[in-house]
Amino acid sequence: MIAYIVNLATLVAIFGIAAASMNLLIGYAGIFSLAHGAFFGIGAFAAAQLALNLTPDLLLAFLAAASLSIALSLCLALPALRVRGEYFIAASLGLQMFAVTVFHEAPSLTGGHGGLAGIPQATLLGIEVGTPWRFLAVAAVTLVLSLLLIQILMRGSFGRALMAMRDAESAAMAFGKNIPLLKTLAVAAGCGLVGIAGALYAFHISFVIGDSFTLEQSVLLQAMVIIGGAGTLAGPLVGTLLILLLPAALTFMPMIPPTEIGTVQQFLYGAAMTLLMIFRPGGIAGQSVGRR
Amino acid sequence: MSEALLSVRGLSKSFGGVAAVQNVDMDLIGGVVTALVGPNGAGKTTLFNLVTGNIAPDTGEVHLEGRPITSTKPHDVARLGVARSFQDLRLFGKMTVHENVMVATEPATWLWQPGGPEAKRERLARVDEALERTGLAGLARARAVDLSYAETKFLSMARVIATGARIWLLDEPSSGLDPNSRKRFVRLIRDAIAAGVTICLIEHNLDIVTELADRIAFLDQGKKLAEGEPQAILRDPTLIAIYFGERRE
Ligand SMILES: Nc1ncnc2c1ncn2[C@@H]1O[C@H](COP(=O)(O)OP(=O)(O)OP(=O)(O)O)[C@@H](O)[C@H]1O
Ligand SMILES: [Mg+2]
Repeated sequence: MIAYIVNLATLVAIFGIAAASMNLLIGYAGIFSLAHGAFFGIGAFAAAQLALNLTPDLLLAFLAAASLSIALSLCLALPALRVRGEYFIAASLGLQMFAVTVFHEAPSLTGGHGGLAGIPQATLLGIEVGTPWRFLAVAAVTLVLSLLLIQILMRGSFGRALMAMRDAESAAMAFGKNIPLLKTLAVAAGCGLVGIAGALYAFHISFVIGDSFTLEQSVLLQAMVIIGGAGTLAGPLVGTLLILLLPAALTFMPMIPPTEIGTVQQFLYGAAMTLLMIFRPGGIAGQSVGRR
Repeated sequence: MSEALLSVRGLSKSFGGVAAVQNVDMDLIGGVVTALVGPNGAGKTTLFNLVTGNIAPDTGEVHLEGRPITSTKPHDVARLGVARSFQDLRLFGKMTVHENVMVATEPATWLWQPGGPEAKRERLARVDEALERTGLAGLARARAVDLSYAETKFLSMARVIATGARIWLLDEPSSGLDPNSRKRFVRLIRDAIAAGVTICLIEHNLDIVTELADRIAFLDQGKKLAEGEPQAILRDPTLIAIYFGERRE
């Protein structure tokens, strides 16, 4: 039971980071990427390869995962600079599907359909962080540091510039904001951070496979942000808790037969999301509708 | 023409078959308030968009203090000291009034602004002053979407004020204001003129034009038909016929 809870808490921390990075894009920059699951995977594969071939050092894994995600984020920045709205969403969807194909069809990089197994336990500055409790502590600290960094950036002129771009791009330009640079930075920051979450995920599960980083993962991350409250600090964390704890809570409900849990889950997600968007479009942690 | 702060020569722009701006010359002289007047669709907003780099002209040039700025990116034009407002305001809706104005004082796009805490204090002071002058100080923490119509118009002005720009291009800043707010608006512009700002405003209200403008440039169907002192322009029966004739449709 304790092991179960520690595992769940670790997942909450990892997905909390991923959702916070998604929020950077959706909530602050207004960039509705459907490729976030792919960048989560890119970080996971980078960390896995590093751990399998070179060193299981967590900081180096973070560095590798973030660097690769940031470098590849240019593939997402490019469409973001050229098209907006539904056109960008379609472009990011294409990128997501392309990435999953690569995950499955490039065995030398990703292990192909079999994935990469046997990822060794992580070390941090030479100390083993393999035990569940230690790993939870590391994941939690990473989450807190990520949220702190986001809070500092979003409270400052960078966050204001992103929100201005989100609310009225041409006006942001008229007040000196270099929109292409701003979008590139936002996409790099969002993808770099989700890469770090991916690295943690790889060590936590010790097995990475393309199937974990599909469109469904992207949509789940979006759902965490939107349900929790886009553009707020706490929102993504609230959304993550809700989405990860709901299935856990359901497994403890005796009246639902185990074979039906999946169906009930889907049903509850769907209903919750729809009702929330009707009654609280800003999300749980978001502002309620203004006086207008 | 060396005294012109901003000068426009032979500027043209067509959208498909519509010649929105045709071969327009215009000079903004330091300290002179120029009103752009003309019926709907005359090309006034397009002319602003061409000057600020939102749209690239088909032909023609724009110079700022003698330096060519034709087709310069909007954010670079802004950094050169040209501020503008939008006919449809384009406020940062989900941000607070204070944040809206703050953005206008922070031209750097990078992760932080240059100048450290001292520069930040100066920017905050500029925001406070802009909010004070537009009567929005009490609404600093309200979100832009929650403001009344007149408040949104003044917030649009506060952003322009806070930039500290030397040249203001204002697109119908007083449209739809009640008489009281309009008086406050006129006072605001007078203060800016006194502080040395050079203003070009698009304005349909001829009372405000007479009250504020030193010169009028009259546009119709993309062409500048006349430019000169307000009395001369506003007494020209052909121009007035065009203006009111088309407005009544
Ligand atoms: N982006 C655009 N694409 C196509 N046509 C445009 C565009 N912008 C302006 N036009 C057209 O150019 C002409 C001039 O428009 P503009 O908005 O400059 O007029 P205006 O003088 O500002 O009018 P108003 O008083 O109604 O604001 C109009 O016929 C308009 O339909
Ligand atoms: Mg117009």
